[in-house]
Amino acid sequence: MKLELRDIRHVYARGTPFEVEALRGVSLVVEPGEVLAIVGGTGSGKSTLVQHMNLLLVPTSGEVLVDGVDATTLKKSELRRRVGLVFQFPESALFAPTVEEDVAFAPRQLGFDEEEVRERMLESLRAVGAEKLAARSPFALSGGEKRRAAIAGVLAMSPEVLVLDEPTAGLDPATRVDLLTLILSLRKSGVSVVLVSHDLDEVAEVADRVCALRKGRVSATGTAAEVFYGAPAQAPVTVQVASLLRESRPGMGHPVRFDETLDTLRALQGT
Amino acid sequence: MTTRSLGQFYPVSSPVHALDPRAKLLATAVFVVGLFLIDSMVGLLFLAAALMMLVAVSRIPAGAFLRLLRPVLFIVALTVLFQVFFSREGVTILEWGILEVHSGGLRLGFFLALRILLLVSSAGLLTATTAPVALADGIEDLLSPLKRVRFPAHEVAMMMTIALRFIPTLGEEAEKIKGAQAARGADFSEGGPLRRARSFLPVLIPLTVGAFRRADELADAMESRGYKGGEGRTRYRELRFRASDVIALALTFFLLLVGILL
Repeated sequence: MKLELRDIRHVYARGTPFEVEALRGVSLVVEPGEVLAIVGGTGSGKSTLVQHMNLLLVPTSGEVLVDGVDATTLKKSELRRRVGLVFQFPESALFAPTVEEDVAFAPRQLGFDEEEVRERMLESLRAVGAEKLAARSPFALSGGEKRRAAIAGVLAMSPEVLVLDEPTAGLDPATRVDLLTLILSLRKSGVSVVLVSHDLDEVAEVADRVCALRKGRVSATGTAAEVFYGAPAQAPVTVQVASLLRESRPGMGHPVRFDETLDTLRALQGT
Repeated sequence: MTTRSLGQFYPVSSPVHALDPRAKLLATAVFVVGLFLIDSMVGLLFLAAALMMLVAVSRIPAGAFLRLLRPVLFIVALTVLFQVFFSREGVTILEWGILEVHSGGLRLGFFLALRILLLVSSAGLLTATTAPVALADGIEDLLSPLKRVRFPAHEVAMMMTIALRFIPTLGEEAEKIKGAQAARGADFSEGGPLRRARSFLPVLIPLTVGAFRRADELADAMESRGYKGGEGRTRYRELRFRASDVIALALTFFLLLVGILL
């Protein structure tokens, strides 16, 4: 499924002294079966942006297109099923007495029969490596286990686009690696993944394309390499100086040895 | 983002904001008692005019102040309707089936509505012009004579401060959880009242769990910073009663006296 956002603007608390323009015209496309990473500093509008993808937030202006169809014309439950959104710290929304009931919540809300609900529940728990937790209380789990259970709760809808808002924030390394593996295996099965992250290493590892936000606008899009190394004008001054030096003095930029430096200095002094 | 509602602090600088919180608390208390001593319409209207001037002095935009009153409009409307339709005093103005409207009821309804609105506005003005922390300090100070009879004045004030501080936090948390459950297909608007109440369970349960967790964390954080109750605790901001506070209080008494006499 192709998800397209066109010139999305969002203003919070409109008409009050607390008015904030969080998004100032963002356009982007999530192609079928790709991993799109959204990066940007705090307050750049990432979390606001992803909540437009299933219309939890309604844009002040602009439109959201699902396979070319205006998303506002779709049934809400249908849109929410096709675009699965995992909030930041999703474990804060766990509520059922057991993990299996919590994961079964979404498919049950969508009206699947009990057999299908159970099947989806088990399958998504397996996908996040949490099948052993099924009968436990979600409140008695460790942080990483809670996160797995919460993500399974959205996966159980079998979304065509999975949106993850900082899914690895505050996670232990093992759960983090499992999550990134999950993202790649989802892509393999044709699900598009939108990954909001502060961790550029992890973005470089799994993302097909990167979209950088800055003050509510898209400041760059492209592959990880293009976004991270492109647009030198926006790089920090130290990086600009370093790349300038490398261009003007070929041979520079490799590790320097002590005797090499000594030779250079001697040559310069003419001794 | 939270929307403004009753009891929220409106941070601008004005002579009213600058008053000592104790003076404002006392003045509000006196004002509220006075409202119930006044039984003439003219007296109430006089107080309403005085309050409106006070709002103007406080530099809170009239629109924002009126929005503070929105939550009580329902109660006000209900009161008026009850008085208008169930009172049989005075001359009959309107008759429509079994419904009769009498002049006495109309007058009484208007009177009560005005009294409720003034009551709420005075309390609203207090909280809109006084920062929650200052308010709690003021309350602690006013209650401190009761410490002699072992009344935990400091603890009560601390509880109030914390409760006030966490209202917006809980509101944001509720919004977030509501969003997360909506993303999982929860629908909060469909079905009868019972089904709708049930649909809020997935929001209320994690919200409660989170509140308890937060309480634990806050207690730990306070203890690790050496908090051990009000005993011997000093304040960064000392409260000082100044001439302006005395004048403000005296003015309140004077206005009420005029209101009662009118």
